[in-house]
Amino acid sequence: MSREDEYRAIRHSAALSRMDHVGLLRLMGDEVMEAVDAVCSGDLWVRDSRMLQTLILDDRGQPLADVYVCPDDDACFLLVEGITSEELSALLARHVDPELDAELEDLRPDHELLSVHGPYAWEVLSKWLTPDIIGLPYLSFYRFDRGICFRAGKTGEYGYDLMLRSADAEEVRGELLELVTSLDGAEVSLEALDLCALENGFFSVRHGSVEGLTPMELQLQWRVSTRKRFPGVAAMEQRRARGIGRRLTHFVARDEVKSGDVLRGPEAPVGEVMTAAFSPGVGGVVGTALLDISVAHPGIDEFFASDRDPASPIWTVSSPMLLNRSLLVDPRRHTYATRDGETDPPLWQGSLP
Amino acid sequence: MTTDLSDYVASREAILDQVRRILRDTMKLKIEPQAIDPDAPLFGTGLGMDSVDAVELVIQLDTVFGLQLSGSPEAFLKIRSVNTIVDAIMEMTDES
Repeated sequence: MSREDEYRAIRHSAALSRMDHVGLLRLMGDEVMEAVDAVCSGDLWVRDSRMLQTLILDDRGQPLADVYVCPDDDACFLLVEGITSEELSALLARHVDPELDAELEDLRPDHELLSVHGPYAWEVLSKWLTPDIIGLPYLSFYRFDRGICFRAGKTGEYGYDLMLRSADAEEVRGELLELVTSLDGAEVSLEALDLCALENGFFSVRHGSVEGLTPMELQLQWRVSTRKRFPGVAAMEQRRARGIGRRLTHFVARDEVKSGDVLRGPEAPVGEVMTAAFSPGVGGVVGTALLDISVAHPGIDEFFASDRDPASPIWTVSSPMLLNRSLLVDPRRHTYATRDGETDPPLWQGSLP
Repeated sequence: MTTDLSDYVASREAILDQVRRILRDTMKLKIEPQAIDPDAPLFGTGLGMDSVDAVELVIQLDTVFGLQLSGSPEAFLKIRSVNTIVDAIMEMTDES
């Protein structure tokens, strides 16, 4: 299976993947939200059975972990990328009042996470689980006899994460793969999911280095509270008072550009490439660059990667870059079999340098 | 910075500032406009706007900038982030 085939499954039909990189944890007790609130950077305004995206920062204000907080009665599920369950346990021990009634449980030994992404992922889940799944709102979850279905995803397409008992996971994987392949989909790698996340502007702890960068440079201020105390809050307050000199900006390029390449403007260096990857949908390279704040805007066509010979021009663009199929596919009217021109316009509406 | 680039950035920042203020007021956010990241998603995650907020936003964009957005999915694509709104306003200005 080529990366292009994997990409096509995610962007055009449905894709199954194992989410072994995601930590599955549960806090139990009467004061679980107070415990989660103490370590996460965001305001945890989230109801039972809904999900909220937040971060865990280190003392310098840099993201350590990308977290979904999922409260459920007197428990709270945490889907965590970037740190291990042991590291999260250590953070809780350091920052949470030991008197609070909240006990952390690592669900990983007995549970696995499978995901289905794509504009027709809902069709797979409606056949495998229940047609009612079509009505499950984004960032909410649903319990069923074999586990929990989280409606989430970081690809810009419909996305469902299934937390299953390990004993059931292999059988379920086979069932889902059969449904996915019936829609011309495929099983896809984490690299393919990461590419789609990059195209849609989702933060990933695996996209380039965050060394020296806080949520302000990373355009993640919406995940950071201005009302409460949390790890890294002092660094964030200092950064807010001082202002930022650089900001993450998305770009496209026709030719090869790599992480670490210096970007120059007509007169001087303007920043450097953080992450870059070839996008089959764009037909060129997509990426993020850390640009001087004075020029960290989309719509600029004057920069080039100076380390290349010849220098490779880049154009800054707004995020999200793509016209995702999932925005046009309506589960009440469309199916993969009856898809048409209405749901299949070009993913990329722009042009390349 | 060249004159053209400098002019473009100044024009873009002026619109960005206005759009941020509209969003802050529409959603009654108790934050400085600068705390609204230009690429932050407006719906789902990010600012977490709902359909009611969207209607109010569309009215404000029409009132302030004359940007008319129909109810079509294509129109919705223009309001996925602050930056996509600024793109749409600049595109409209360039065309007129």
